[in-house]
Amino acid sequence: MLSFLRRSYLNFSFMNPQYCCLSRNFSAALPPLLPVQLPSRMETHLWYVVPDEVKSAPLLSKYMELLPQSERDHVLGFRGDQLQKSALLARTLVRTTIARYQVDGHLDPRSLRFKRNIHGKPEVEWETKDGFCPPPLQFNISHTSSLVACGVTINSLIGIDVEEKRRRTKNNILAFAKRYFTAHEVEHLNAIPDSELQQQEFIKLWTLKEAYVKALGKGFSSSPFNTFTIRASSGIAVETLDSPQNLTNNWQFALLELMGSHYVAICLERQETGGAGKTLPIKLTARKTIPFVEDELVSGTNAVVTIGGSVTQF
Amino acid sequence: MAGARGILLKHLRVKVQAFPQNPKPNNGLFGLSFNAILRQFSEAVRGSFLDKSEVTDRVVNCVKNLQKVEASKQVTTNAHFQSDLGLDSLDTVEIVMALEEEFGFEIPDNEADKINSISLAVDFIASHPQAK
Repeated sequence: MLSFLRRSYLNFSFMNPQYCCLSRNFSAALPPLLPVQLPSRMETHLWYVVPDEVKSAPLLSKYMELLPQSERDHVLGFRGDQLQKSALLARTLVRTTIARYQVDGHLDPRSLRFKRNIHGKPEVEWETKDGFCPPPLQFNISHTSSLVACGVTINSLIGIDVEEKRRRTKNNILAFAKRYFTAHEVEHLNAIPDSELQQQEFIKLWTLKEAYVKALGKGFSSSPFNTFTIRASSGIAVETLDSPQNLTNNWQFALLELMGSHYVAICLERQETGGAGKTLPIKLTARKTIPFVEDELVSGTNAVVTIGGSVTQF
Repeated sequence: MAGARGILLKHLRVKVQAFPQNPKPNNGLFGLSFNAILRQFSEAVRGSFLDKSEVTDRVVNCVKNLQKVEASKQVTTNAHFQSDLGLDSLDTVEIVMALEEEFGFEIPDNEADKINSISLAVDFIASHPQAK
């Protein structure tokens, strides 16, 4: 399906008669994105796309047009339609999401530039203009073949990771955990008698650990998984084996079950405490989107269930 | 100039002898040819290395066995884990674990981080003397 993309963004698909009726909705400029206010300092925004729900070839072609050449090449560098679609939706979600916040009056996803920090973590590269002070917008993206998600905050470092609930590992879970997780985590998994539950706990731990490393933004080899423990008994916390560098109470976690099919782990740099060292819950707004087609506020519905951490959904 | 050099080199070519499996003890090292001495030292120092094409076959098999994916994904010798095979970070860690089992040595995390294609895995393993 995507192989026509190579042609279509060279000669626009709406010029081609066979695509005329399909592309009627998109033959003119795309409808504007629904603008959204930047999250407040205490809020986290979660946006996600379900790739299986995005089937329109002309729409995907329009998404491709939002990307600069380098990103298009990157998308086309993936082998096969499914992987290309996933990569395309990831770039589209990041660009359209950030564009909605209309920073400095801009609403065009095309105009955004990205760079990587010294550790390779992607960041927005705002235009430097007189008098323009870019917002401290933080974002992080994660995807599986069945879900693409983007988390946005103001000021808080954020890491997110998504995974299918039913994800199976080829290796035995305990053998895997002994090799890659900490002793405490192995003990926690070992204590779960039901293998199905054990599998789910493993996936939850994995996503939480990934989210933490992604929030740190220093690359995986700087924080190998066996150097920190995620404790998820009452609330979720991280404990590093060698504490000096990272004050581990700097980080807050949320674990969500999305659409009954996916785990989403969010790790945030703690902004404020509620006095006496008490942590305030994460204020979360979750929206499902098909950029330019529909947006749906899903926080507080069955689609987003908090299963770990302290979260208030708005 | 090049021609003369070529002729000179031909005259200077050293005869290569097969490395003796069981050098006679009373001859010691001095009974061996120069090349044989060098190889004996370097093998003692570096251990032995696996043949690259054998490593490639074994690595490809490891990845194929782990593949959660449709038969349409061909695991070619230059396949990249993310862009060709659609593998994510959990898959990659599983592959590293499978390679450790297959080749019998531990791959440190900072090295494992860089292994995201079949050829990188092969190069790494083939250059490791502990690989079995």
